[in-house]
Amino acid sequence: MADITRQQIGSLLAKQGILIAFVAFLIGFTIANPKFLTPDNVLSVIRSSAILGVMALGVTFVVISGNLDLSVGSMMSFSTIVVLDLHDKIGPALAIPAMFAMTLALGALIGFLVGYLKLNSLIVTLGMLSAIHGLTLTYSGGKNMDIVDKEGTWFSVFGQGTALGLPIPILMFIGVAALLGLILSRTSFGRKVYAVGGNGTAATFSGIPRARTVFMCYLISAACVATAGLIQASRSLGSQNTVGQGLELEVLAAVILGGASLLGGSGTIFKTVIGVLILGFIQNGLLLIGLQFYVQFIVTWVIIILAVWLDIAAKRGKLWSPIA
Amino acid sequence: MTLRMTLIASTAIVLAGAAGAETMKIGITQNNVGVDSYQTTYESAFIAAAGENSDVDAVVLDAGGDVARQIAQIEDLIQQEVDAIIIWPTNGEAVIPAVRKAHQAGIPVVVTNSNIAEAGFDFVKSFSGPDNITQGARSAEIMCDKFKDMGIEGEAQVVHITGQPGYTTAIERAKGFEDRMPEVCPDVSIVDTQPGDWNREKSQQVMEAFLVKYDDIDGVYSGDDNMGVGALNAAKAAGREGIIFVGATNFAVGYEAMAAGDYWGSIYQSPVDDAEAALKTATDILEGKELPFLNYFDTPKITQDNMGDYTKPVF
Repeated sequence: MADITRQQIGSLLAKQGILIAFVAFLIGFTIANPKFLTPDNVLSVIRSSAILGVMALGVTFVVISGNLDLSVGSMMSFSTIVVLDLHDKIGPALAIPAMFAMTLALGALIGFLVGYLKLNSLIVTLGMLSAIHGLTLTYSGGKNMDIVDKEGTWFSVFGQGTALGLPIPILMFIGVAALLGLILSRTSFGRKVYAVGGNGTAATFSGIPRARTVFMCYLISAACVATAGLIQASRSLGSQNTVGQGLELEVLAAVILGGASLLGGSGTIFKTVIGVLILGFIQNGLLLIGLQFYVQFIVTWVIIILAVWLDIAAKRGKLWSPIA
Repeated sequence: MTLRMTLIASTAIVLAGAAGAETMKIGITQNNVGVDSYQTTYESAFIAAAGENSDVDAVVLDAGGDVARQIAQIEDLIQQEVDAIIIWPTNGEAVIPAVRKAHQAGIPVVVTNSNIAEAGFDFVKSFSGPDNITQGARSAEIMCDKFKDMGIEGEAQVVHITGQPGYTTAIERAKGFEDRMPEVCPDVSIVDTQPGDWNREKSQQVMEAFLVKYDDIDGVYSGDDNMGVGALNAAKAAGREGIIFVGATNFAVGYEAMAAGDYWGSIYQSPVDDAEAALKTATDILEGKELPFLNYFDTPKITQDNMGDYTKPVF
């Protein structure tokens, strides 16, 4: 009887190691500063994580399919700048679909290069990182983009509104996560994404359209980036050209922290959400503790390594192993 | 016309141009045009100022934020035998060897906007730019004066959002502010300092955390208005009123927030003044005038009270 219980605990640990690490951090930070777990703070952290989070959801598809997407940061700057600019030119109702169309076109280009032309995704998206940055600067002429009438536009609802007692960015994050979670775990397309990332050659010989699957993953990623850009633009109603700079690595860190393999074939939407929340709460927790910020960079890294280690240790059932 | 003839002809024109008048050929390598409105405006103002001065022949380059490219550009300018080089350093340390090379080639170097590290001062004729320590000090004075008006100078609590850690401008403004505040308002406490990385969104997140951590915040000083407006957005969303926001480098968004009564004050720093001062410093040196090594242009205080004297910044 005791054995079965221990096995159950073991399998729970192995499956949910990262979740347990997350709860451990929450408890630790709350002891350090009791204000950490107040509803106001929790909502504010999740709301600011929503932008990074929505992007990470899309990148999860790309990573599971065995590829990388380093262009999401500068693509998000692009979406934000474009939608802010078009807001004053053609009105928000047209600006939003126009911005989505342009961002999806960029995603389609990357998807075509990586999926159909089979170019290395690291090179393609690293190149796109600076190419899209250049595109954004060309578009804006390097100037900050601001909506002129900040008080009188309904556009602010996506970043600043609330519904059902929750901030809209959080609801959008939950909505996109639920939708993409269903697609990934309950549809044949989702199965194909895992198959392509797990063993692309085998997938091809099983009749799975590898190129089209990869292409679709980049489209999903671009749609998520456009959604993130929408929230970002609406939250501050103005933006620098560099608003998304550096986010690509945080996004990737969240996805990998959640347990997706960089080699492809594994990962889930739920775990990416946990990865995103860990990053968000670490940043906020360190601010609340009031640690000097030079030290924060180091501590953030230590906590991430600790989380990954706990996750792997839980999967192995022991803290240390001589074999990989 | 054959290719050879074209080459000879064009060489002749270049030579004629060089020998003809007493023009000053001044090369500039900028930090990262296009990354923000300030630098974009600076470049167009510099080109305009050089165009108005018929004695100046300007070679305008941009390093795109890349140190290696900037070093290569300085070497190119040395090869072109320009009369003076203006540099807006991408990195205060890494450019020093290239600056030394220009110095050894007998070309005077002017540093603009952000100074290089002290180790390179011997190779530089003059620094033209804003005095960031004074800017920080003036921001402290603006805030202190406002606290005195409100009668809370004996108890006010301030949080401080700085620019990018390690960036000279950020360090100098922070130092100016934190040194000056105790001199003018000894009982005001600066309760927390965190970086906003010159980024509005990052600053908003930092301010959200401050608002949770401190029930009583009377003033926010941010290293530029862009971050200041991010902090203001956070306070507005949290419904916290009566906070005095003071920034630096008055941006259009900061100016608008001042007009709306949400934002108290800032430091007026014009990229047009910055660019014109750099060019003037270079031409003054070439004309043999004596200049101080640190040749600052004035960056006055701007608050809701006197903002009518200043036009809205273009960036």
